[in-house]
Amino acid sequence: MFEYLIFFTFAAIAVIFAAIVVIHRNPVVSALALVVSFFSLAVMYVLLDAPFMAALQVIVYAGAIMVLFLFVIMLLNLAHTEEPITRPIQQFLGITGAAGFAITIIYYLLKAAVLHTGGPVEFVSDARAIGVSMFEAYIFPFEAVSILLLAAIVGALILSQRTSAIPGAKENGSR
Amino acid sequence: MSFDTPDILLNLVKIGIVLSLVLSVTPVWVWVERRGSGLIQDRPGPNRIGPLGLIQAMADAAKFILKEDLVPAQAHKVLYNLAPIFGLIPAVTTCAAVPFARGFTIPETISYSSIIGILLVAGAVVNFILGVVALRVTSHFGAMAGATQLNQWVGKITGFAMIASAPLLLGILAWFRSAGSVAMPFGIGGRFFEPIIADTSIGILLIFALSSLGVYGLATAGWASANKYSMIGAVRASAQMISYELALTLSTVGVLMATGTLRLTDVVYRQSGTFVLFDTISIPAWNMFPMIIGFIVFWVASFAETNRLPFDFAEAEAEIVAGYHTEYSSMKFALFFMAEYMAMGTISALLATLFLGGWDVPYWNEPANFVGFLASFVAFLVKTSFFLFVFVWVRWTVPRLKYDLLMKLGWKVFLPLALLNIVIVALLIPLGWI
Repeated sequence: MFEYLIFFTFAAIAVIFAAIVVIHRNPVVSALALVVSFFSLAVMYVLLDAPFMAALQVIVYAGAIMVLFLFVIMLLNLAHTEEPITRPIQQFLGITGAAGFAITIIYYLLKAAVLHTGGPVEFVSDARAIGVSMFEAYIFPFEAVSILLLAAIVGALILSQRTSAIPGAKENGSR
Repeated sequence: MSFDTPDILLNLVKIGIVLSLVLSVTPVWVWVERRGSGLIQDRPGPNRIGPLGLIQAMADAAKFILKEDLVPAQAHKVLYNLAPIFGLIPAVTTCAAVPFARGFTIPETISYSSIIGILLVAGAVVNFILGVVALRVTSHFGAMAGATQLNQWVGKITGFAMIASAPLLLGILAWFRSAGSVAMPFGIGGRFFEPIIADTSIGILLIFALSSLGVYGLATAGWASANKYSMIGAVRASAQMISYELALTLSTVGVLMATGTLRLTDVVYRQSGTFVLFDTISIPAWNMFPMIIGFIVFWVASFAETNRLPFDFAEAEAEIVAGYHTEYSSMKFALFFMAEYMAMGTISALLATLFLGGWDVPYWNEPANFVGFLASFVAFLVKTSFFLFVFVWVRWTVPRLKYDLLMKLGWKVFLPLALLNIVIVALLIPLGWI
């Protein structure tokens, strides 16, 4: 009973704020609304008996990634410019594609979740279980992803490297 | 989910204890900060209102409430008003996961003893004095211009209620003495009282998750104020907090490796007892001894996380007026102030819990009864107060860094040191030294 109350409250918050992210004209408000949406999603993980996932969701998405997004949006100080519709065909294709995608997802969700409710699944998600499976069963994908991230870091470093115009002038920046 | 009345009552008691501690951190530590800065700078500090200036915080609060609340015309109104709340919520909620004392089994019946009598008499005396003080403060500020009728009534009612509670407490004492012993009400007798609000399996991650949201208060405030100084403060705060969160989180990994769980009650229980060096010297089994590097990294990073000197770039008054809260006035400014002190209190409690044995009283095996609970609670408060005092001490000792030095320090010194700490702990664990 209580769980349903919490679930529907936070589900409503998540959906409403996700809508705000898309609809609102101010990018800063959109970013903050996305944080609220992520936080409500973390509540869903707690209700699913996965507190570890919930904590990671908040730490990684709300606490780190969205802070960076907000940081960049604030630095760029994006001004909203109303653009006239110049590409009607693309716009039509975009709307049709999104609508088709939404209908497909809703159809399969209703089919899977409402019409065929499965029994409870054995599901462990504490830190130990996740760590063991990550370093035993999924060690190869895990390491592959770390190399990918390392490549991204190196790429960012090379791209952001300032080439000094005056030879010999030592840069006194924060890099 | 079923309702368990004793459980709900005990949780309410815990929430009451923690909330009253968290809310009293701000007034008490503002006083300590101002008197402490006076002490360090060889001047008296605030000494006019109350003995030793103790009532100064109440006067400050009255001033904050009476001031006009200004909103800049260019500000984003909704976010400007929400930002202090964004800042306060993480600061208040984080302490839910910090264990503050040794757990104990509540006895079925409680019999009268002289200690209870002394406590009740002391409570009556303290309430009486506080009530008189509240009435005096009310009459003092009631004469000032701008004091509203409501404020005066609140002050008067508080004062009279506190004075009236003194004879009530003495009455309870007389009744208790004649009754001899009483059964614990509401069926809480026989329960185990674990003094932590949220004893979850993800304890420390919960704390990091909530405290990582603290940056939104600063960032939103700075952006919504539509002031370039506020904006610079907000940008600095977000960059700084992201950078130091990394070192802060990595420096706790050693503690978690040694404990084997993320649960903070286990972290503390594991640190009670002693390490024996060379079969002769015994020192408390606190994590700060084997993980001295992690301890120092966490300690320094906590200054950056709470935006305190020498890392207070978000509000550096010599450079950007007052940083992210330049445009804030009245109670909204006070909320940022409270959030800063609460965050300091929480991170000090966390430092004590992770590295200084939490509530562990050194060289004493706390019994699982009320005496052990009280003693360990006092030990926890002493350790937390020590770290809180160091925040004040450092503020008036170390000058502010340059911003690029802060970033260099975070990424090039503390991050590698935190990783080194993990390596050292990983070597010490198989040797059986931890």
